[in-house]
Amino acid sequence: MKRNTLYLAAAAAAVLAAALPAFLGAYPLNVARSVMTYMALAVSWDMLLRSGQISFGIAGLFGLGSYASALLVLRAGMDPAMSLVFATLFTGALAFTIGFAVLRLRAMYFSITTLALAEIFRIVLHNLHDFSGGPEGVVLPGVIFGGDTRALYWLCLGGLAITLGVSWYFEKSKLHLALTAIRNDETSARSSGVDIFRYLLIAFTITSTLQGMMGAIQVQSYGFTTPETAFDANFTLLPLAMALLGGIHSTLGPMAGAVLLGIASEWLKLKIPYGHLVVYGIIIVLVILLMPRGLVGLARKRRTGRGA
Amino acid sequence: MKTLVTEHLTKRFLGLVAVNDVSFSLDAGEILGIIGPNGAGKTTFIHLVSGILMPSSGKVLYKGRDVSYTPAHERARAGIARTFQLIHPLENLTVIENVMIGAVFSRGQSLKEARKSAEGICESLRLGDLGRDTASLSILEIKKMEIARALANGPEVLFLDEVMAGLNTDETRQMISMVKAIAKERGLAVGVVEHVMGVIRELTERVIVLESGELIAEGPYSEVSKNPRVIEAYLGGAA
Repeated sequence: MKRNTLYLAAAAAAVLAAALPAFLGAYPLNVARSVMTYMALAVSWDMLLRSGQISFGIAGLFGLGSYASALLVLRAGMDPAMSLVFATLFTGALAFTIGFAVLRLRAMYFSITTLALAEIFRIVLHNLHDFSGGPEGVVLPGVIFGGDTRALYWLCLGGLAITLGVSWYFEKSKLHLALTAIRNDETSARSSGVDIFRYLLIAFTITSTLQGMMGAIQVQSYGFTTPETAFDANFTLLPLAMALLGGIHSTLGPMAGAVLLGIASEWLKLKIPYGHLVVYGIIIVLVILLMPRGLVGLARKRRTGRGA
Repeated sequence: MKTLVTEHLTKRFLGLVAVNDVSFSLDAGEILGIIGPNGAGKTTFIHLVSGILMPSSGKVLYKGRDVSYTPAHERARAGIARTFQLIHPLENLTVIENVMIGAVFSRGQSLKEARKSAEGICESLRLGDLGRDTASLSILEIKKMEIARALANGPEVLFLDEVMAGLNTDETRQMISMVKAIAKERGLAVGVVEHVMGVIRELTERVIVLESGELIAEGPYSEVSKNPRVIEAYLGGAA
């Protein structure tokens, strides 16, 4: 019964999300798009976190997807919608290759290397003037779907839906067992037959692909990008704060955190234009200290009357 | 052909030789004790056999096949299972999920099949209430779960690394009969590391004794326990 209620709630939320453009004007829809983008990034970051690997590379893959899509349109004359598909696949393929190197690292070393990746991509694109437009970035001939606010909203919702669907699959399939086993104790996981490298590579490739996809959607929705916007540290920091706030190791937690922080960040950007990142930092610290399981963990604790 | 054989198995950590030139064999249906003072290399030896560590030299042969450098997860799939001395139960998984992992990843079962076979194993170990978090388990239940996890691999060789440690007399007795029954029923080759000599005497037909990484004695417990070298290893020169 509980499961049916959950599916019903998910279906209702999906219908509501899809129907939102009927009720909202352009500005709220743009905010909603930003929230959905961050939500997809937060959930995808959490998916890899379920294996215990803390990635700081979200912005790197997001930016890579952005640039891949933009350059496919500009340099290869590809149709924008088509470029979304190919940019997504390109990010995935690159992540798969990079995975062979970075997934040999663990803990802090993995995190720092993923952080460095974002910088490497940014610097490369910064300096490939003729190909990438250099620091001035790239301007596309137009915005996808003629810039129709509703169509852009639905496109972004589609990206989010794919991400949530994959995350749900991660929770329900044997990937859940594999990733949780790896997170808990690699030695024990190995002696239960779990091919650790293989599952980490699967998780890293899939989550990177999703992040690249959201980047591609982003650039086609705005019609331009620069190395500084595409690889903005915000795209790493904000999803991380959202997932921590909402509750890690689940789909629902990062979603809840994204709604709260996503809306709050719109407000914060207006109030403290240059200092809002500090607020996210403070949130991360406070959440880790005071409620390490996030809001979802807190709710669960209240319901069951014990630590989740 | 013996199920598991090691030939001159050696593991060096920089200057320290943790396992030194150990050759032994273990056959199906046999329960072998592995004893020795602290730091003798017993756990390192199991790590080498199960693939958690790779040897510096020497060989591990499983059913005649050289698996010396085969990764741990492949050895698990092939049928070499083990428990861990320092247990890290997977706290974010329930008891049944902990046990299912071996069935899913070593035997390639679907989640549904794995759940079923894990339930069967837990039942045979009299491990109940499988939907629990592992945080609420007693020591006995944790040890049982460790064994269940290993059995879920569908092993032919099973190493138990101090599964009796921390149990009281009754629990130990219960565990001994359980291990015996499982080994017999499944025709397993079992290696048991244990510090409690009573357990070794009850459970095993043959023991090997390690000291400073070297195999210093082998035979039935009654003989080995009278071996002067073994007594010296345990009690020091004064004996």
